Amino acid sequence: MSHFLDRLKYFKKDKEPFAGGHGEKTDDDRSWEDGYRRRWQFDKVVRSTHGVNCTGSCSWKIYVKDGLVTWETQQTDYPRTRPDLPNHEPRGCPRGASYSWYMYSANRLKYPKIRKRLVKLWREARLKYADPVEAWASIVEDPAKAQSYKERRGMGGFVRIKWDEVNELIAASNVYTAKTYGPDRVTGFSPIPAMSMVSYAAGARYLSLIGGNCLSFYDWYCDLPPASPQIWGEQTDVPESADWYNSNYLIVWGSNVPQTRTPDAHFLSEVRYKGAKTCVITSDYSECSKFGDTWLAPRQGTDAALAMAFGHVILKEFHVDKPSAYFTEYVRTTTDMPMLVTLEERDGRLVQGRFLRASDLAENLGQDNNPEWKTIAVNHDGQLVSPQGSIGYRWGESGEKGKWNIEQRDGNTGDEVKLQLSLKENADEIAQVAFPYFGGQTHEYDYFQHTEHSDVIEYKVPVKHITTRDGETIKVASVYDLTLANYGVEHGLNDPACAQSYDEDKPYTPAWQEKVTGCRPEDVIRVAREFANTADKTRGRSMVIVGAALNHWYHMDMNYRGLINMLMLCGCIGQSGGGWAHYVGQEKLRPQTGWTPLAFGLDWQRPPRHMNGTSFFYNHSNQWRYEKLEMDEVVSPLADKSKWQASIIDYNSRAERMGWLPSAPQLGVNPLHLAKDAAAAGMDLKDYAVQQLKSGELKFANEDPDNPQNFPRNMFIWRSNLLGSSGKGHEYMLRHLLGTKHGLMGKDLGESDGKKPEDVTWHDAPSEGKVDLLVTLDFRMSTTCLYSDIVLPTATWYEKDDMNTSDMHPFIHPLTKAVDPSWEARSDWDIFKGIAKKFSELTDGHLGVETDLVTLPIHHDTPTEIAQPFGVKAWWKGECDLVPGVTAPSMIPVERDYPNTYNRFTSIGPLLEKLGNGGKGISWNTDNEVDFLKKLNRTWSEDSARDGRAKIDSAVDAAEMILSLAPETNGQVAVKAWEALGKVTGRDHTHLAKPKEDEKIRFNDIVAQPRKIISSPTWSGLEDEHVSYNAGYTNVHEQIPWRTITGRQQFYQDHEWMRDFGETMCVYKPPINLKTVQPVLNQKPNGNKEILLNWITPHQKWGIHSTYSDNLLMLTLSRGGPIVWMSETDAKLAGVEDNDWIEIFNVNGAIAARAVVSQRVPDGMAMMYHAQERIVNTPGAETTGTRGGIHNSVTRAVMKPTHMIGGYAQQSYGFNYYGTVGCNRDEFVIVRKMNKVDWLDGEDVKEEQTMEPSAQGFATEEEAAQ
Amino acid sequence: MKVLNLIAHLLDYPSDELVKNLPELTHWVANEAVLDPRVRDDLLAFIAHFESFEALDWQSEYDGLFERGRAVSLHIFEHVHGESRDRGQAMVDLMGHYRSAGLALSERELPDYLPTYLEFCTTQGQDDNIEGAQGWLQDISHVLALLAARLREKDSPYSLLLDALLRLSEVEVDMAALQQQVSGEERDDTPEALDKIWEDEAVSFSSAQGSACGDSVMRPSESQRRDGQPLSWINAGADQAPQHSA
Repeated sequence: MSHFLDRLKYFKKDKEPFAGGHGEKTDDDRSWEDGYRRRWQFDKVVRSTHGVNCTGSCSWKIYVKDGLVTWETQQTDYPRTRPDLPNHEPRGCPRGASYSWYMYSANRLKYPKIRKRLVKLWREARLKYADPVEAWASIVEDPAKAQSYKERRGMGGFVRIKWDEVNELIAASNVYTAKTYGPDRVTGFSPIPAMSMVSYAAGARYLSLIGGNCLSFYDWYCDLPPASPQIWGEQTDVPESADWYNSNYLIVWGSNVPQTRTPDAHFLSEVRYKGAKTCVITSDYSECSKFGDTWLAPRQGTDAALAMAFGHVILKEFHVDKPSAYFTEYVRTTTDMPMLVTLEERDGRLVQGRFLRASDLAENLGQDNNPEWKTIAVNHDGQLVSPQGSIGYRWGESGEKGKWNIEQRDGNTGDEVKLQLSLKENADEIAQVAFPYFGGQTHEYDYFQHTEHSDVIEYKVPVKHITTRDGETIKVASVYDLTLANYGVEHGLNDPACAQSYDEDKPYTPAWQEKVTGCRPEDVIRVAREFANTADKTRGRSMVIVGAALNHWYHMDMNYRGLINMLMLCGCIGQSGGGWAHYVGQEKLRPQTGWTPLAFGLDWQRPPRHMNGTSFFYNHSNQWRYEKLEMDEVVSPLADKSKWQASIIDYNSRAERMGWLPSAPQLGVNPLHLAKDAAAAGMDLKDYAVQQLKSGELKFANEDPDNPQNFPRNMFIWRSNLLGSSGKGHEYMLRHLLGTKHGLMGKDLGESDGKKPEDVTWHDAPSEGKVDLLVTLDFRMSTTCLYSDIVLPTATWYEKDDMNTSDMHPFIHPLTKAVDPSWEARSDWDIFKGIAKKFSELTDGHLGVETDLVTLPIHHDTPTEIAQPFGVKAWWKGECDLVPGVTAPSMIPVERDYPNTYNRFTSIGPLLEKLGNGGKGISWNTDNEVDFLKKLNRTWSEDSARDGRAKIDSAVDAAEMILSLAPETNGQVAVKAWEALGKVTGRDHTHLAKPKEDEKIRFNDIVAQPRKIISSPTWSGLEDEHVSYNAGYTNVHEQIPWRTITGRQQFYQDHEWMRDFGETMCVYKPPINLKTVQPVLNQKPNGNKEILLNWITPHQKWGIHSTYSDNLLMLTLSRGGPIVWMSETDAKLAGVEDNDWIEIFNVNGAIAARAVVSQRVPDGMAMMYHAQERIVNTPGAETTGTRGGIHNSVTRAVMKPTHMIGGYAQQSYGFNYYGTVGCNRDEFVIVRKMNKVDWLDGEDVKEEQTMEPSAQGFATEEEAAQ
Repeated sequence: MKVLNLIAHLLDYPSDELVKNLPELTHWVANEAVLDPRVRDDLLAFIAHFESFEALDWQSEYDGLFERGRAVSLHIFEHVHGESRDRGQAMVDLMGHYRSAGLALSERELPDYLPTYLEFCTTQGQDDNIEGAQGWLQDISHVLALLAARLREKDSPYSLLLDALLRLSEVEVDMAALQQQVSGEERDDTPEALDKIWEDEAVSFSSAQGSACGDSVMRPSESQRRDGQPLSWINAGADQAPQHSA
């Protein structure tokens, strides 16, 4: 408002001066100031954070006025760090700052919705049947009815539905499925529990109580590095970002820190001011490249070759020529380098075998407990010893004091030992040992360069002769000597196979790697020297920050083992400022042991059903029916290829039957029926199942996944955008899981007359639409929602109470309810509570108290993990007996009280008091905490199964349960946990938690201010006033063993399948040939040139991490729709200019996007960021004629059998710990310019009209993708 | 004034209750004496269209139209502030207006939801006198006009309801020009336009000069649009045909 008329022109007012004329009193209008005042008005500020799968977990202030969220800003009240360490804040990035618009966006899901066809069928059925379960049966048992709604998935046509009605439908479907097919035919997928852990727990608790499966995500996302369990028996334990500041040399390898770790990037730039040197390794000129004093750009997918060359230099200069005293002592005491490996004669060659065990030697070398699991080394006096700490010492050891520690002692006598690294000085012979070499393999499009070396190279290795218990003489070598040979490092043996200088083109010299990676040898030598030199001078303060870019390849283990080897060789693991910093996807759930009882219902019944996601989706979306990768292409030239003639799915099925991997569904029959059959036969349930399996009457479901009995009938997806973001083999899912329109162009093995699986039943007719009901919970209409039958609106991150933790910092952050959920939205906790309630009601007449038979794979960190010490034996072939928990999965009867599902959901069950709580192989009594929760949350007082039990009614109750039970948030529990560990290690660790014994973090505490966690044995790092969290710290400094066979960090992997794949040691393996291009290349020409590019899908800048990219602020900063980056050279070749529409396709599917032509991208690479959704600006693809897909439309999961290994110490299954991973970067695509951009507008409408004449007249635009 | 309430109901999600009461509403519209005949025609045409629909079909059409994308969102500020931070404060201010009129929101709905706003309008003024509400309607006439044009572009009968509201507001809108602008909106989805710099300008539709002056083309300018119609399939190729389906 202008004040023109208020001002006086001819008069002036009387002034009343004060302060000696410096001020004057006036009564001028001051209402103009209100604009500024109102701008920052609010009723309250609430602390919350963002529950997306971003490691950030930043604390935010949410401003609320009149019950509306008006804006958010970064919180600035983090506790100070210690002197000489920068503070954590400010944390938060533009993506977080743009979140509040989601709440009131037109895209917000406001009401529960259901597909019109389905609700029509449902209401008709409900009129006919009083019982909702029968109503559901009448729909899904009628193929025509079932198909009529399944085929409309992804094509719009939603209507609103009331909560009561929708809950009834979902519950009826679950009851029907559990009763008819089995509870393990109900499955749920939700990722990253660390981000909003109560919301995750809500669905997982419901599923676990009814006996459904929870799918893992970390492996499915391909963020899970299998190298981590292989080497350490630990998954993704990493330093917090503050520890970067303690480093003196940083290699940032395939991680785009400023872009994807924005709130933490400041530590990286700050430490450079302190003088740290940095080397950035990325194939493209990423945003992080500018942080590097050196930038190396190896060809994508060849990182292992670079790592091997680094390792070659480090070994040569710092272990052989001028040994670093620190490095030598480090590898001697904390790694498997001194351990002995047997060498086996095969085809006239000496090949690497397994670790020598105490059981191989006379009188088990004095070890009666688990001699098969105690590895052997040579002491300085030449005597064979079984050093303490190997996994045999972990389980079943008697005696007062535990011996599972890595003190340098003989396990027999307790005397101190000094183990020999090289056997060179007192070798019985210098033998020629064969090593596989894979770098000579040719690439199908000649894109990845091979070298001209033989596929088997023989190196000289010092060998000792040993007499076994059978009196046989065998040859053994130390891992140290084998490692030197493997890297081709000459150490005085005058080995012609080893290079005499770095310039020689022999594996794995700097000159050799240049051919493969394209990096200059002198840069490689310099970086290796700088890295090792720094570590030598600082006792391990060299660090590698690594990202998904390296892990998404088929041979990701080699990339990771390559760089972890560098760190182990330089003594960096477990040292402040050193180590392996992998930040992808898992987001550490710090109070894990407090959370697992809540999430998986362990307080009521054990064990829950867990399933590894990759195998599940590969299996049920029928990707195996199209598999073109033969296993004999990827195994070692030294392996017996006749063992590797079956299909990938066969090996997965065998792994399940041998108890290595979990299954979902588990057995080929309804497990609830099995109990009744056993009772009828008058047999114990477990014995009955074993007998039936042995006789072949009973099969595992995985042997016949296309049998309708084994379909995953019901699926829940929450906190995830499975189909829009992480669904590798997107089009396969559309076709087989959902039974709707798809863009799949490949032929299956039946159509193409390919080699069929050996063990898994082949049906010529493919099964489509296996899922009867797909329910998705979300707060926005995501791609996954579009394909769901039912969409439930959840509370946003500012509308619910929950908690977040991250591996990037040690704080626990709350999500708090700034405002009530808008419209009809409810929190995940309330939604699943509602479904559980309805489920309990509907069980009447269908399900009562039932006995379920759960098959449980051999789990890591349990006494069963030492089940299969020697060889791979199949019970169904008669190679061994079927012994549950040893040669097959454990079979455990679990009682399910179905009518009390809701009562159990909302109260803490009695098993915590009965069995205690724990994790990672230790357990402790938790009576005090349960008792405390009874007082804190109050107890139920009613005539039901939950009478007298502590309440977990609200999400805050659930959060308190986590916080009370977890050592990380309850000091007394931490002390108990360290005590429990001390019993096994024989060492007192309680001093690590004693100072914080009385500290108990409550939900309200973290609402008040971010709180740091308390150190616990669940994790291998410490969080205290002196060191930043760094993985492996307690292993090195508290001498707690790594949870591997040797108890040490392992350069060597000795399982039979690892040997068959030639991966006993780290080697370079080039990307594999997936054969997905030829069948469609130049088959459907549009006149434009078709070129081949390697398909890379990194995390993005312009979306909310990997999940949401329909945020307009972000889209506006980008190009407003799907984009694919390519190089100038390739663009020229294909006649593409910047911003042209291009099509990207192969047999898996097609994508339509705009080209971004940029110097950033190297030749031969096409790059598309994650999760550019089908709901945003996606036109039709010319090849398929359907709407262009997402980045995963041209991918498919391909599994590697080494990741299926189980029952073998650190290579045993664990949920999100080990298992098959869904890699996707070896993929090639055809790229060409599009002629015609067809938006397919109105196409859905036309279709709808022809099918349903009632809905005609004014045509509406169906905006749903197809 | 009852007519505003009626339109509010028709613009809301077609609940089973609405479908059931449709004959009664038709009767009222057909026989209400004071109704502007053109408004009457609009409403009757709208009702006639949906009369034959089954509830589920009407509902799914509504869902596909209004709950997928923001181009025709029924939340007024979506078209004024989009997802900019100003929206929160604007909603708070609007709540202030409601409160000073002695009203509090009882449904879990946002204050800028058009049916909510219309119901508020009915409480302004005496008896069945439209004048009290007119000023409020005029305040949002540019949004109404934009919605009318976009709905017509989509060939949706819902445009009739917006036409009726515009008539009731008695603001003269050059619909032909607006229609042309809206059909021209495709142009902002050309490759050049997609890269257009995003400008964050505060927009006020109730400024001092306000709607009372009856500016016939008052509406958010292109530079103020925040949506870019990202959720409707846009035309961005070089040589494509117009996008609308009918």
